[in-house]
Amino acid sequence: MSHGDHSRDPCPYVILNDFGGAFSMGAIGGGIWHGIKGARNSPRGERFVGSMSAIKARAPVLGGNFGVWGGLFSTFDCAVKGYRQKEDPWNAMIAGFLTGGSLALRAGPRSAFGSAVGCGILLGVFEGVGVLMNRMFAQPIPQMQLPEQAPATPAVA
Amino acid sequence: MSFLSGLFGGSSSSSKPVESEFESEKSASAELFNSTTFRSNASPSSSSSSSSSASSSSLPQPPSASAPLPAQAAPTALDAFGGGAFDPSRLHPLAGLTSGDLDLLELDEDKLNSIEGSASVLPSRGWTDDLCVGTGTTYLSGLVIGGMWGAKEGLSRPLGNNPSMKLRINSILNGCTRRGSFTGNSLGVLAIFYNLANSSLDSIRGRHDTYNVLGAAALSGAIFKSTAGVRPALVGASIMTAAAGAWSAFKNTV
Repeated sequence: MSHGDHSRDPCPYVILNDFGGAFSMGAIGGGIWHGIKGARNSPRGERFVGSMSAIKARAPVLGGNFGVWGGLFSTFDCAVKGYRQKEDPWNAMIAGFLTGGSLALRAGPRSAFGSAVGCGILLGVFEGVGVLMNRMFAQPIPQMQLPEQAPATPAVA
Repeated sequence: MSFLSGLFGGSSSSSKPVESEFESEKSASAELFNSTTFRSNASPSSSSSSSSSASSSSLPQPPSASAPLPAQAAPTALDAFGGGAFDPSRLHPLAGLTSGDLDLLELDEDKLNSIEGSASVLPSRGWTDDLCVGTGTTYLSGLVIGGMWGAKEGLSRPLGNNPSMKLRINSILNGCTRRGSFTGNSLGVLAIFYNLANSSLDSIRGRHDTYNVLGAAALSGAIFKSTAGVRPALVGASIMTAAAGAWSAFKNTV
């Protein structure tokens, strides 16, 4: 998520990109999800209307939830990067902690702290999986071929 | 290139900035390396200091019988650095460090959007980038506008006589979250439709101009209001077209 890849915009502008990306993902995915769900929950003959009304009612809300989460996360990620002047998995974990905390702030400090810890752990798991995948799929350093080698012995069956 | 020359404190005239992040590093390291002089106990040999022409290699000549060197002046690698700042032009010409086209250090950026006339404030890498940035900007501005609307509503809502501060803050927050999310979500969905239509029209027609903007605006307004009937869809399309036309005119004049 934040390993200095150069296929993304520099930091203040990437917030807009993440906001829009998360919102679009939520809205389009929510459109598909609630379209199917609304059609299944409607009586026969009303399926299309039910699907449409479910999409209209719920897809933008899901998009908004996704968008706020993603945008807030990206904002905190940029802020943490700017403060620490480092790029490592801790950035995402701290940003996740702050995001979860500020989204649950209205429910009281206790609930906010619980949500923050949950979000931080979730992001930590994501980052840990990413690091593990990186290690697993890293190209092994090829063995140097010696120029003068004995001819390969035929495989013994 | 700029990174290398910055590392060795080379002349900044031949350096081409690859990335702006490296600029600060470059100046700092160049300062560091310029302030340091590479010294050795051995004095520089006369053969290496005289051969400063760019075509011939500046590597120290092997000691030959015709030009016997003093015993203490063994040619070292530091002779090539001349005791001062490193000069990339004195490298062997095969190294090719001065020509500025060192492919190794050129960052392999993604292809930018190459459709004619689509250059905008932020460089775009294709339709997904357009979609994300456009939707994000619109959604965020919708959130801000709706939040202000909700704050005003919450500030002016009657809360009975002698309301406490906590009640008032709660009212403001309720207004913000209700109006803000409503406005943001509506504008965001509208922006998704608009950006999808715009990118489709761009790729169909192969160019980007005002007609595309107007067409995409009409299409998105019609889709957004399509469930309310034909007449509201037409109204929505015309409102969006007018807004897009005004925005295009504003952008052309600025």
